[in-house]
Amino acid sequence: MLELRKDIFADERDDNLKEIGKGTQRQDMLGHVTGTSTYFDDHKLQGMLHLKVVRSTHAHARLRRIDTSEAERSAGVRRIIRGSDVPRNLNTLLSLINFGKDDEPSLAVDKVRYKGEPIVAIVADSPREAYEAMAKVRIDYEPLPAVLDVEDALKPGAPVVNDTYPKNAFIYHDVYDHQKLRFGDVERGLAAADHVLEQRYQMSPIEHAPTETNGSIAAPDTNGRYIVYTSTQALFFSLDTCAKILDVPSNTFHFIGGTVGGGFGGKVDTLTEPLSILGAMLTGRPVRYLFGREEEMQYGPPRGAERIYIKDGVMRDGRIVARKIRAYFDSGAYTRLSSYAAVKCAAHLPGPYTIPNVYGDVYCVFTNRTPATAMRGFGVTAMDFAIECQMDKLAHLVGMDPMEFRILNAYRDGDMKAHRREAKNTALIECVQVAAEKAKWPIREEFKRASSRKEGGGSRAAIPPTPRESYAPATAPSQQRTTYDRAPATSREPPSPPPPPPPRPLAPSHGAARFSSVFGTRRR
Amino acid sequence: MSVTVRTFTSTGEAAAVLSSDRSARYLGGGTLVMRALNEGDISISTIVRASDHALTRIDATGSRIIIGAGVTFARILAERDLGFLHAAARSIGGPAVRNMGTVGGNLFASIPYGDFTVALLALDAVVSVQGGLGSRDMPIEEFLQTRERQTGTLVLSVSFQKPASADAFRYRKIARIKPKGGAVITLAAHLPVSSGRIAGARIALGSMAPTQIRARAAERALEGRTLDAATISAATAAAVEGIAPADNALASGWYRREVVGVHLRRLLSGQE
Repeated sequence: MLELRKDIFADERDDNLKEIGKGTQRQDMLGHVTGTSTYFDDHKLQGMLHLKVVRSTHAHARLRRIDTSEAERSAGVRRIIRGSDVPRNLNTLLSLINFGKDDEPSLAVDKVRYKGEPIVAIVADSPREAYEAMAKVRIDYEPLPAVLDVEDALKPGAPVVNDTYPKNAFIYHDVYDHQKLRFGDVERGLAAADHVLEQRYQMSPIEHAPTETNGSIAAPDTNGRYIVYTSTQALFFSLDTCAKILDVPSNTFHFIGGTVGGGFGGKVDTLTEPLSILGAMLTGRPVRYLFGREEEMQYGPPRGAERIYIKDGVMRDGRIVARKIRAYFDSGAYTRLSSYAAVKCAAHLPGPYTIPNVYGDVYCVFTNRTPATAMRGFGVTAMDFAIECQMDKLAHLVGMDPMEFRILNAYRDGDMKAHRREAKNTALIECVQVAAEKAKWPIREEFKRASSRKEGGGSRAAIPPTPRESYAPATAPSQQRTTYDRAPATSREPPSPPPPPPPRPLAPSHGAARFSSVFGTRRR
Repeated sequence: MSVTVRTFTSTGEAAAVLSSDRSARYLGGGTLVMRALNEGDISISTIVRASDHALTRIDATGSRIIIGAGVTFARILAERDLGFLHAAARSIGGPAVRNMGTVGGNLFASIPYGDFTVALLALDAVVSVQGGLGSRDMPIEEFLQTRERQTGTLVLSVSFQKPASADAFRYRKIARIKPKGGAVITLAAHLPVSSGRIAGARIALGSMAPTQIRARAAERALEGRTLDAATISAATAAAVEGIAPADNALASGWYRREVVGVHLRRLLSGQE
């Protein structure tokens, strides 16, 4: 039975809501239960061809030679597509909002950087004929050392995964190899704490496992335009990505989405549309490109794996006085969306708790693994898992009830968050109280009486003095080079100058300047 | 080359094509063959089907039970006389797979599938196959050892002696995802009892080797004894003797070796 606690924050909410608590028919339910919902793959077009992709069998290798001559003669083959056929064969998804550098080819040209990377696309009359031609493509690989661990990837001398980012870390604002959060003096906080607990948390990649695999059908239309039926969960994002890769105006395409048979973040990467459209452009026929189940599971992008270190200082009375976090997001071989996940993660630290000394370093790291992408709360989910595990361990360490421990440390209205924003409309205490009550979990009277709206602010609203870090001039590791990691380093690179200070806000001419973690400083 | 579907009324004609055409596969319920085709297996070019009703016949009236190769798991679950096999049939796939998947096809299912075959192995089943030159009966163990070559034959039926009591046959599938996951380990035991002592013990294991195998050392530990705590401990201790399971995505070989004895103990002592 749904129960709304309207009394708790009655004056903070416009209470003219009319939907919650009522039965409402989902708009797509009738089609689903009667089996009539239309998916992109329900379009069978006259003369439709089928596209399949030959994928890398190595995690990291140089492509010495790609021989498609026998495949071209294979029965039913209409066209073989190589990297050189792709008009702009380098892209990064968030380039549409000017974030990150183009680093990922649609079809690999000189190197493959993860097992399963697309190398050659085959367009044939039937899926079967495409599969038969795939078996006839000869690829001569020169295997290179691969790096599959985020911390190994950041070590000097690690193989360079992605030449666009030669230090194997995404670069923010052209300068920073990680996202940084500093609030107070974490080292002093740890030194003054009664207990210090440091733990390591390692997540796994998680596959979205949609019932409908990624796919699209592109068909030539009149006037040089193309109609694209697609499973994408981000229709116009995919459209603009295709326009960029294929180097045509975006009004060249008419994208038709519809029912997405399971997305969860696994259908934003626009993996099939550029090639199916290119296939249609090169053959003048409708072209269908649909992932097989193994392709989806093995090479469809997963939620990235994160490695998280948390070091907390806690007092005997249960107050957390310092939290130091290092996190490494495994982006796989290319950027996709993990760069943004790291921003979200840094913005989430130190969780919904008021801690006077917080330190966070969050890295987006390249490894020779399948590129990772969005998935439900990515950037936050794994960090929350780690933080909440840590909270339970800390409660145990100081001999406190874990629910009461959270109420004690929860942020309250008026507190200063580590991002130097005042906490407003906080409600963690009330959530914990209700959870304890529903679970019949006994908590003491003083914790039952605690409120998010009492005892916040005051000294808790202060921004503590935060020491500036003295920058040791960074020396570029001599083993890391920008091109293929084969030639020995001849000389040590000169030490690079210290990074320039963060851009100062310009004097506002129209409205106030604000800082965005993604865009840097920009005017409102 | 496209894929050709050939349907015959007689099993003899179907078997003749299977034995003469390397690229031919028999299609039972399609849960293995169609998956392979959809995922791009170009070694299959001919699909053979047979509409002979004998393939879908169940004879469970006497003490020797005969199940046609084309009998689906849904039909086994609907057959009251085959109640001792219901746990094994129910452990396979979801309803859609059980409606299509067949007893004959399960003999060819590789790890982590092929659970029903584990039950058949514990029952000492005989597999009746038809090759190009005629039909013959073959012990299931021999069939499994030569399974790679058996794609050129047509399985007609399996037959086995009905267990004397409900307690004599036991089955357990260990999966991480319930109820539809692939097996970490599958166990089946047939423990006929003669004047209070086990006579002719059979322990079969799935996912502990490239094909379903018998745990012979554990069988020896049971043979001629009563099923008491000491016997169960001896069988448990012998469970992994001579067995070297491989790693796969569901479990490591090390894990399988560690836990197979635990599950065998539970199976033998009747724990849930």
